Amino acid sequence: MRMKTILLAAVSASVMMLASPGFAATELTVQRFFGACDADFGTNTDVSKAVGECGIMTSLINKFNADNPDVHVSVTTVEWPGYDQLTAQFASGDAPDIVTIHESVLSDYQSKGLLLPLDDVLKSVGVTPDAFTDAARNGATKDGKIYGLPIDSWTMLYHINMDLFKQADLVNADGTPILPKSVDELLAQAEQFKQKTGKPYFVQNLANETALFTRNLYTYLFQQGSDFFADPKHVKLNTPEAKKVVEMYKTIFAKDYTTKGLDYGGAINAFLAGEGGVQLNGTWVVGDYNAQSETNGTALNKGGYAVYPYPQLFDGAHAQYADGHTWAVSAKEDRTAEQTAAIGKFLKFFTDNDFDWSRTGHLPAVKSIITSDQFKALPHRDTISAVAELGRSLPPEVERQFAIQEIIGEELAAATSGQKDTDAALADAETRINELLANL
Amino acid sequence: MADQLTIRETAAPAVGVRVPSANIYAPQWRNFVFVAPFLFFFTTLLIFPLFWGMWLSVHKADTFSTGRFVGLDNYVRLFHDKVFLQSVWNTFYFVLLTVPTLALIGLFLALCLNRRTRTAAVLRTLFFSSSVLSVTIVTLIWRIVYIPNVGLLSTIYGWFGATAPAFISDPSLAMIGIAIATIWWCIGLPMMLFLSALQQIPQDIYEAAALDNANRWQTLRSITLPSIKRTFILVIIIQIVLQFQLFGQAWLMTRGGPNNLTKPIVLYIYDTAFRRWDLGMGAAASEMLFVLILIAAMAQYLVTRNKGDQA
Repeated sequence: MRMKTILLAAVSASVMMLASPGFAATELTVQRFFGACDADFGTNTDVSKAVGECGIMTSLINKFNADNPDVHVSVTTVEWPGYDQLTAQFASGDAPDIVTIHESVLSDYQSKGLLLPLDDVLKSVGVTPDAFTDAARNGATKDGKIYGLPIDSWTMLYHINMDLFKQADLVNADGTPILPKSVDELLAQAEQFKQKTGKPYFVQNLANETALFTRNLYTYLFQQGSDFFADPKHVKLNTPEAKKVVEMYKTIFAKDYTTKGLDYGGAINAFLAGEGGVQLNGTWVVGDYNAQSETNGTALNKGGYAVYPYPQLFDGAHAQYADGHTWAVSAKEDRTAEQTAAIGKFLKFFTDNDFDWSRTGHLPAVKSIITSDQFKALPHRDTISAVAELGRSLPPEVERQFAIQEIIGEELAAATSGQKDTDAALADAETRINELLANL
Repeated sequence: MADQLTIRETAAPAVGVRVPSANIYAPQWRNFVFVAPFLFFFTTLLIFPLFWGMWLSVHKADTFSTGRFVGLDNYVRLFHDKVFLQSVWNTFYFVLLTVPTLALIGLFLALCLNRRTRTAAVLRTLFFSSSVLSVTIVTLIWRIVYIPNVGLLSTIYGWFGATAPAFISDPSLAMIGIAIATIWWCIGLPMMLFLSALQQIPQDIYEAAALDNANRWQTLRSITLPSIKRTFILVIIIQIVLQFQLFGQAWLMTRGGPNNLTKPIVLYIYDTAFRRWDLGMGAAASEMLFVLILIAAMAQYLVTRNKGDQA
């Protein structure tokens, strides 16, 4: 009997010891895109050692877990952009607590009451809306409330292989690249580039791609002052302005001023191998490309790497399409006060560490960081910071922006490659989008 | 139950009363218990969704709410949607590309490998091995083959200074690219079905043919092919039903592009219902696919019934 009591006591004590950390830590589920890189950064908590979106994001979450033993964040990584899974998770009542959502997509979920307004949570940890840049705050605000913690503003950029630009005589006396100021100049420079280097001016991922076409179209429509979404339920795309943009990309394609048949990964590899002069890609690769340019023996190390906003090719105001990433929180009725407090901690952590995230190449969402010397000292920020002023998004009331992106991308891809007449493609894009928006 | 029957039957002659013997085929409600588990899942996972899908297709519904009754509006929108009509054509085109090829290559491989040698056994295993892979692995392999500049095809063409065909992005080649990957993936099953049919043909017919001095071609045409006719039809019908449901390869290799030329009906349904949240129209498209597969299944029933009568 005595032995039994001792055994029982020992078992109970060991169970308590094993279980006690579990009792203390509040569990949060986080779902994100940005890729998986556990082999390189799975246990890294020194964020300064990480590079690239995936490395920095993984290290930041590791650091959050290490700094906050009372909270445990478990991460699910989804393939970009992950909205199909997220929609299914919301529909089945099994959404993660915190999830990455683009500013352009927030209204889809917010309009269905699926997201938690974050104003109170942010206030409880001392983060006020005026901490964010105008672009970030406006992008995350719907119906007067903040529905996602903005972590950046991003846009597409001209990533330039300076070695090839030098070969093509497209470099100013001060060493900066010569960029076009009109459509005619662009085509002339692309021809000159092709003649002198034997390579295409652009490295684009055109194989079964939709996002690139759409972002390019938006940018050059903004540059012509076209208010194509004056009514958020009705797009006007069959316009002379849109036609000018499509005809420009059609010429670029027909005259072999661009790579063809490459998918996203293929285009990155081609640019890094020096297969063309300008890659159209986002802010998120600036960190990686800069690291490449500092590595001996790479194509970007040969003559250098430069990165610029899209050049102004039309007569309107200088502008380009921009969006942003946010951490959104799902609306759950059974969430405990501890969990909500843990979410507040997580969001505060990302606000405080926005500088590290901005090392990816994205522009920081926090005002004090974008104006800090630390941020300005990062490579290439002198050229790309202008995007903070140039960036424009679609009106926030426009719903299903990713579905619209797919439609525009499909039609423009067909028009650019000559499969479809420009007018027919623009008319079809307009009809399909309006049909979609009329049936929400 | 069995004990009771035995007692009644054995006891009857003793008292001299005629008791009709129990009909063991008579319906017994308690037998329902044996099929109840199956019926439960059949009803909840198949019958209920079937009718729910029909109900959704006449409603304006999205992923988070079911809205008002709209009659046949979703069907009208569907038939005015160029992308849907394109996806129906794409599906038929894909079936046309894959099914005859699968049947013919499957038959050819089975004829070549129907021998008792070690090499044939190894090759049978090799040809069947691709069937065990998941669609993700298959498309990954074929993307590595097709990818421009660095892919296997590009490398091989590069040796001869030629440019490889763009199987993923060329509008006229994209569906053929998907069909090639699918045939490579699915060839195992038709080959095995043909092999089993070939092995059931009695050897004495071949011996008789040999005595009659029949050559190889005559033997194939007059003995082998007629003997496996029903397997041939079976392979065709199975493959039609399977290939009608193309989804994974198209989604993972081309995302339905370029310009929706490789978007099959299932991908259209997925896009409409889950990516555009237009559940009503997605359900309407599902009903159309249901009708198409039903026609294929009915054709199978009719063809096999007629063949049965003739036999």
